[in-house]
Amino acid sequence: MGEAVTSPPGNPLQRIPGVAVTLGLLVVLFGSVAPGFLSPANITNVLVQSTVLTMLALPMTLIIMTEGLDLSMGAVLTLASLVVAIVSLATGSMLLGLGAAILAGAAFGIVNGWLVATLGIPPFVATLGTLGMAQGLSLIISDGQSVVGIPHSVRDIYSATIVGVPVPVVMGLISYAAFHILLYHTRFGTYIFALGGNREALKYAGLVPSRLLIAVYALGGMMAGVAGLLMTARMNSGHPTAGLGLEFDAIAAVAVGGTSFERGNGWLFGTALGVIAVGVLRNGLNLMALPSSIQVASVGLLVIAALFFDGLRSRS
Amino acid sequence: MTDLTKQAFAPPRSMLSGGALQIFYRLLAALLICVVLSFLSDSFLSLGNILNVLRQASLMFFIASGLTLVILTAGLDLSVGANVALSACLAGTVIHQTGSPALGVLTGLATGGIIGLLNGVMVTALRIPSFIATYGMLWVLNGLTYWYMAGETIHGFPPGFRQIGSGYLFGLPIPVYLLLVFLAVGTIFAQRTTWGQEIYATGANPVAARLSGIPVARRLLLVYGVSGTMAGLASIVFLARLNSAEADIGESLTLPAIAAVLIGGTSLFGGVGNVFGTFVGALILTLVLNGMNLLSVNASWQPLVTGVIVILAVSVDMKTRRRTP
Amino acid sequence: MKEYRKLICAVLVLSGGFAAGARADSETIAVFTKNQTNPFFQAVRVGADAAAKGLGAKTLHYIPTKPDSIPEQLSQIEDVVVKKPSAIVFTPVDYKAMVPGIEKINEAGIPAVNITDRSAGGKFLSFVGADDYSIGLETARYLLKALGGKGNVVIIEGVKGSLTSVDRVRGFNDALKENPGTKLLASQPGNYQRLQALQVMENLMQSNSQIDGVLAANDAMAVGAIEALDGANRKAQVTGINGTREAIDAIKSGKLLASGDYNGFVQGCVGTMIAIRSLRGQPVVTEIMLKPTVITKDNYQPYDVPPESRVCPSWDEVAKVGTK
Repeated sequence: MGEAVTSPPGNPLQRIPGVAVTLGLLVVLFGSVAPGFLSPANITNVLVQSTVLTMLALPMTLIIMTEGLDLSMGAVLTLASLVVAIVSLATGSMLLGLGAAILAGAAFGIVNGWLVATLGIPPFVATLGTLGMAQGLSLIISDGQSVVGIPHSVRDIYSATIVGVPVPVVMGLISYAAFHILLYHTRFGTYIFALGGNREALKYAGLVPSRLLIAVYALGGMMAGVAGLLMTARMNSGHPTAGLGLEFDAIAAVAVGGTSFERGNGWLFGTALGVIAVGVLRNGLNLMALPSSIQVASVGLLVIAALFFDGLRSRS
Repeated sequence: MTDLTKQAFAPPRSMLSGGALQIFYRLLAALLICVVLSFLSDSFLSLGNILNVLRQASLMFFIASGLTLVILTAGLDLSVGANVALSACLAGTVIHQTGSPALGVLTGLATGGIIGLLNGVMVTALRIPSFIATYGMLWVLNGLTYWYMAGETIHGFPPGFRQIGSGYLFGLPIPVYLLLVFLAVGTIFAQRTTWGQEIYATGANPVAARLSGIPVARRLLLVYGVSGTMAGLASIVFLARLNSAEADIGESLTLPAIAAVLIGGTSLFGGVGNVFGTFVGALILTLVLNGMNLLSVNASWQPLVTGVIVILAVSVDMKTRRRTP
Repeated sequence: MKEYRKLICAVLVLSGGFAAGARADSETIAVFTKNQTNPFFQAVRVGADAAAKGLGAKTLHYIPTKPDSIPEQLSQIEDVVVKKPSAIVFTPVDYKAMVPGIEKINEAGIPAVNITDRSAGGKFLSFVGADDYSIGLETARYLLKALGGKGNVVIIEGVKGSLTSVDRVRGFNDALKENPGTKLLASQPGNYQRLQALQVMENLMQSNSQIDGVLAANDAMAVGAIEALDGANRKAQVTGINGTREAIDAIKSGKLLASGDYNGFVQGCVGTMIAIRSLRGQPVVTEIMLKPTVITKDNYQPYDVPPESRVCPSWDEVAKVGTK
């Protein structure tokens, strides 16, 4: 339990994770009952709709692996999407908007990391505090109003395709690949495993855990910045409250995917499956036009069921 | 439990585990905020305002006190807000249908308690991490409440019942008496009873606790049950205070309650903290909001101010807590 | 040959008529509302259901699981486009952010009616709504008249950044400007929530010993303010907006002075009627602005009926009810 692990825990084929079971069941269920679920248009929709959450859940996996949490991600995402809107409106350039958003996200990430690592504040509280700060900043810079009239180049990001694949999905895939390489094939990745499972080893190796932690949280902030571009593109506007609360969805997706809150092991692919499972659930329920209260309850049941299956598995 | 292990896991003998010093610093922080506010606003120190703050803080405290026990075991209960909403809606229905406030109170407490126990079962028997179990429960409860209420509100309750929330006794709001009662009960339970000590031990080191004979599963069921029941109690007071029940009253209650517990010095890692600290945490948060209203702080700035204060309050604690690893 | 042609024509006409009849029976109207908790939107949904039932069509409701969630409503639009309902009746969660979603609906060729909040873009068959600004204005004017044009007033705003709150508060402020004898003591947000409005009101009463009037941006907050006043044994004239059942009860008992009518039931009815009529090739009206009404002790009777028991206006009444 205390060793730094450099590869996914166990052979995934040996033990089918709870999230895969859940996802499989959902696909079978909706494929048979929900009209249009398996159509290419719908599958594309689900993938595109899941991209923003994926971009938050990937760094959240790393943060949770370090026994941390980032509650500010939704608020930082919202702030970033406003920054994209405001900067691209002022300069006419989507790239400048994106750059500014990444910087803003990184700044918050660094503050988070500093509060957690250097001041030793529990991540829950530290990021709860920065949540408020980001939320406040969003309201202040927008004066509570949406920001519209942004250049078409931003809007096109959401609807454009590359070789027939929607750009958001491409961005999601690239993010996943980047995080996979980072976590499983670089030394930084081994440090992250160590941060959660064996912090002592890092110190013996002469590394400063606090700097690594700051980097991890900063990564989260930067991804929120990129996701901000997607959100603004989707709404063709910046909105002061659009992304609030998404961090809980991201945390749930990570936990459903198999990453544990306690030990330093994490499964990136599980997170991706977790995000898609939630997306599939919502999409399927929409297609079936079930009453909204059932949809709400189902999200909770899904999350509980996924971890219940996981618990069964680890006991046998 | 052998004497050795009992010694190893017994919390410090002082009345307020977690260090009287920590409590002192927090009270100092609260006092500081009071002093600042009394300079900035003429109406802060008026009797009416102080009573308001105390009453508002007690509402937050009811939820946060049960949460404290859960967090002491290194767990979390994210469903408390939704619990309050459903319990209030069911209790309100019962009062309307039967005309009996007593039955309504029982319904509220029972609903809250059952929800809490269900959380406990998920955490102990089903081995689901408390974050996910209670997060899932939150959604399920919301779904139930939305379906049950169908966008309506239940309003209009007997004046006698409403005294629970808005009445006064010898000049003090009734919720404040309830606050004092539960503050005392909670503190004595946590510090002075075996069960309380076992809860601390479970949070500090669950493996060792189990090895030394503590029935961990039963204690966990207890803390989640208590957290749920306190949410049920809060729902009654809310019902009485607001004179109505709606599906979304719980939405904004959970995070501030957790913040109150953490500002009060209880650690998410378990084993450290106490109920009195939670009260001070609730007080600090309420004072901040009160101050912002009195000073007519622009709505856009309010989340920012709250966030900064939360961080400040806990950083000070970190600085003063150097000694504890 | 001619007989065959006549036969084919007859078959075609009959099957065409049959298909049209079958289509008329199975029109599916997708109704989008903002959340499950606000009684106003419940009234909208009940109205939509009543209108559809009366005309032999079906409704499907799409409500975000997280109240007022922009990303969720955008996803629901994308999912609905796959399903292809006959028509859509649409309340945007945010009037600017949903525009790309409306454009998707337009591209898919699904006819849509905009209700409640006027969307900033996209093509609609019609808009049915009430003007938040004039409701705020009229309600405030009523309160200020009751105060005799002078006194101390506080405003309890809705959710910071929401269009309804911004416009209603603007209406409040303009009414105040018309009455120079009045003084605005404070304008604080209650987030459209009862508890928050109550606590805000409690705090405001501490810093202001004399409050004569309270302009609340919705009924839940108005009732919260009344509870606070009662608790402190103080009196003030309070107004809300929405005309919910609770507000009507409070008006009857004299606790609430008035509530601005923002008739959700009728909006749901009319929006759905327009959608169905358009599908059937019947004439529609492109804009219906419900006239602002202030519900008071004198005129509450027609509103004192639960939405489930109310009846949609007929089409002729609709034309009267409110083109600008």
